[in-house]
Amino acid sequence: MKESLEETASLYVLDQLEPRDRALVEARLAHEPALAALVHDYESALAAGVRSLPPRAPSPLVLERIEEQIDALEAGKIETFRRSPSPPAFREARMRDGHNRGQQADEGAASRLSWKTVAQWGIAAVVTVSLATLAVQSLRRPSASPVFVVVGLDANRNTFAELPSPGPVAKDADTRFIQLASAAEDLWRNPAARPLPVAPATTGNHGYALYDPSSQQGFIAIEQLPALADNQRYHLWVIDDSTHRIRDAGILPLAGVSRGLYSFALEPGDTSKADRTRPNFFITVEDATAPSPATPQPRGKVVLGKDRI
Amino acid sequence: MPSSESEIREEIALLAAIGGGGREAFRELYTRYSAPLFSLALRFVGDTGTAEEVLQDAFLKIWRHAASYDAQKSRPFTWAVTILRRTAIDRLRQLKRTPASLPLPADELVPAELTLGENTRRTTEANETAARVRSVLATLASPQRDALELALFSTLTHAEIATRLAQPPGSVKTWIRRGLQDLRHTLSSVSP
Repeated sequence: MKESLEETASLYVLDQLEPRDRALVEARLAHEPALAALVHDYESALAAGVRSLPPRAPSPLVLERIEEQIDALEAGKIETFRRSPSPPAFREARMRDGHNRGQQADEGAASRLSWKTVAQWGIAAVVTVSLATLAVQSLRRPSASPVFVVVGLDANRNTFAELPSPGPVAKDADTRFIQLASAAEDLWRNPAARPLPVAPATTGNHGYALYDPSSQQGFIAIEQLPALADNQRYHLWVIDDSTHRIRDAGILPLAGVSRGLYSFALEPGDTSKADRTRPNFFITVEDATAPSPATPQPRGKVVLGKDRI
Repeated sequence: MPSSESEIREEIALLAAIGGGGREAFRELYTRYSAPLFSLALRFVGDTGTAEEVLQDAFLKIWRHAASYDAQKSRPFTWAVTILRRTAIDRLRQLKRTPASLPLPADELVPAELTLGENTRRTTEANETAARVRSVLATLASPQRDALELALFSTLTHAEIATRLAQPPGSVKTWIRRGLQDLRHTLSSVSP
């Protein structure tokens, strides 16, 4: 476990993680003091390493050129404001400006989004864990699906709604993931924003999934699942609406808690009908001691999303 | 330690001020960071002209994104190094060049004593830290040392480092992590 934390911290500090994995680590930092302490230690090592290089001064012209560019940026902002007389036009200009600046930022999703957008969801009091081992490999360039699918789950059924994609539809899967993460965090923190009936606290176990059909990744939020015995585990499954095939979405790492928000990514599958897909999620209780077959199938009791089984 | 807690707090405050449009704060951060970041940029790209372009672009990004800096996720210097590294990667891609190899050509190196406009105390501490880092690196066997130096001072991914060194990726990853741990322990054992 410690070895894993050490590796996570070193990869994070050396910027060797994919944006989605980096975002997951950032979400963990607020709630895992051991990880945060390791990251700080490795940051000290990195800083010492960089400062051990023979120091070289850049030309004084570099700072001059930077300040000239900042002046130009500031002048551009003022110009944009002056050209935007009406509130709607101003709003539109600001959106365009923000979008263009995001495109110009060379670090793209890895900087503008991971430092800003993800900052909004990373502070949540949830542990976000990537479930599927094939997460990165299974990502593909998303098609232009403009919405995420929200699937409500309770003990008996799935209900469906759509959620507009926040901002321009990202063309790459990593940025798409960060948009998805941001939306998942918003829904988690603000139940009234969910486009589904809000389950009263007394209705027992329930949850919802936020799913991007294009990239076949998403988040699952669950509440009030009963405690498991040591030899049991919760397993998430998806039934493909078009093929009726049951797909493995991973194990929910619920250790001593009854609620949480988790990310998942499905193994590669057909995305040609992604825009019309209504994925049906369900959760089973599986025997943790049973050998893992090559193609896992649900064998245990269904605790959420029964009606589609 | 390379940066005291008070210096880190100062730099967090500087970034907050920069996020609010503070030019003086920006110049102060530039004074603190430009030399180590320029040295690193030289390692990344291999020539002075491109390194200055990378440094310029990186500081422009620091200006533009300072308001979104989050101290809970990284320290200011790490954040700046990450921005510099990604900027260098993009510039190398634009130029269709491969990352610079180690070691750096001798004419790019200057004695460590030639420090640049920082105050004497900070300079002394930096030199002591640099000496400790070099002593750690000197104790490492060749492939591990190369792996750690490439991880710290190049834009290569761990997989690319493994390919360049013709070593198994798992071994390279472990060497880098252990090298960082050695650095960490050495630095913490001598810090007050």
